[in-house]
Amino acid sequence: MKTPKNFEEGLARLQQILQQMQDETTTLDKSVKLYAEAAQLIAYCNTTLENAKLQIEEIDAAAAPKETAGE
Amino acid sequence: MAEYIHVSALNALARRVLENCEPLNNLIVCGEISNFTRHSKSGHLYFTLKDDQASVKAVMFRDKARLLGFAPQNGMLVLVYGRATLYERDGAFQVYAEYMRPFGAGAAQMAFDALRRKLEAEGLFDPARKRPLPPMPRCIGVVTSKTGAALQDVCNIISRRWPLTRLLLAPVNVQGLEAEQSIVSGIHALDADPRPELILVTRGGGSKEDLWVFNSERIARAVSQCRKPVVSAVGHEIDYTILDYVADLRAPTPSAAAELCVPDVRQVRQNLFILGQNIQKNIQSRWQMCYNNLNALASRRVLDAQKTAVENRAQTLQELSDAILSQKQMLFRQKQTALQHAAAVAESLNPYGVLARGYTIVRDRKGQCRTVDQLKAGQEITLQGIHVTADCTVNMVRPLSGEDQDENAQKL
Repeated sequence: MKTPKNFEEGLARLQQILQQMQDETTTLDKSVKLYAEAAQLIAYCNTTLENAKLQIEEIDAAAAPKETAGE
Repeated sequence: MAEYIHVSALNALARRVLENCEPLNNLIVCGEISNFTRHSKSGHLYFTLKDDQASVKAVMFRDKARLLGFAPQNGMLVLVYGRATLYERDGAFQVYAEYMRPFGAGAAQMAFDALRRKLEAEGLFDPARKRPLPPMPRCIGVVTSKTGAALQDVCNIISRRWPLTRLLLAPVNVQGLEAEQSIVSGIHALDADPRPELILVTRGGGSKEDLWVFNSERIARAVSQCRKPVVSAVGHEIDYTILDYVADLRAPTPSAAAELCVPDVRQVRQNLFILGQNIQKNIQSRWQMCYNNLNALASRRVLDAQKTAVENRAQTLQELSDAILSQKQMLFRQKQTALQHAAAVAESLNPYGVLARGYTIVRDRKGQCRTVDQLKAGQEITLQGIHVTADCTVNMVRPLSGEDQDENAQKL
């Protein structure tokens, strides 16, 4: 299984997995594989939530393209 | 002839004098606007500032006028920032306005209402324009003062609710003459940066004057042109600014804005848990279904086995029944043979059979068989032989002598 880039991707993948599993045409074999992937994703998501810490960065507004010239 | 000077020299002189008067070069004049005109071609603003005793002409050039955050109107009390000097051509003393803003509650309200009507007419407040916020923003751009309480509130709330996000701060002045330009630049910078998924423009509570800058038309336009959703949170619940109308979402306070921008980690955790449970239930029911199918198949196999068992027993039954039948037939044949024997024996014992060998049956007149011992003299009897009967009369009955008896015994 590919580790998701971030929590949101992990969560989205989990929702996708549930959908695939609910699809009756998914074989048992595939379902078992999806289930294993889901277990890892849930662990990943929980760990990510656990370890998250707000990050703050600054941007230099003056560097942005200005709407009008100043003085 | 007296010394004279031309009008132009006079005006030039007067202008030089005035320009050397330092206070005139950096003024803030309070007055009411009248005779307001916007020159249709040049875009310059011409008006008169007056109070109850005096008036002065004023001009604001296009490049400054463009930066105005409100629409000046006649009767509006304003603070004009600029300088005053002589316009040489007309000899007119006038104020050159660099910047102005409504002064006092009435004027502010007038400006506010005018701008609101104008932007509303342009459709900038149209509910259809409001964009939804991303449910889980990975990065939020924040336009606020780096040192303000608003940033602190936002940081606190977001690190408690959704620490997975990143704040990208565009530090701006939220007060003073530079505030408007600074805020507009901050919005532009965050809109141009690829990282933020939404932009929060905020400042904490303050006086009407403090919050005035957020009624700026330029800020309103910057927000309306923003490609990303914008959340506004200026002052407190009761403070409404033009920014609030044009923003995609208005929050009553910085803290409330922070709550609206991000999901609650507890809720997300709960959702994750439910998602996990659903996946678990799904795989379990899938297993169950497969087991059931397998069992159904297996029981069909049991049926097959039963069928075989029945067939085996049917065969055994057939064999037994065949055996019983043949046994019966054999017995029947045996009995039949025995019967034939018995019949032969019986035949051999037929009393009529002995008649052929010369024996005779004695009958009385009634036709009943009689032994010779029963006969009496004079009795009429019939003797029956094999072919004929003879009617006789008994002459005499006498017992047998000893010799006759021996002869009988020998025969037996």
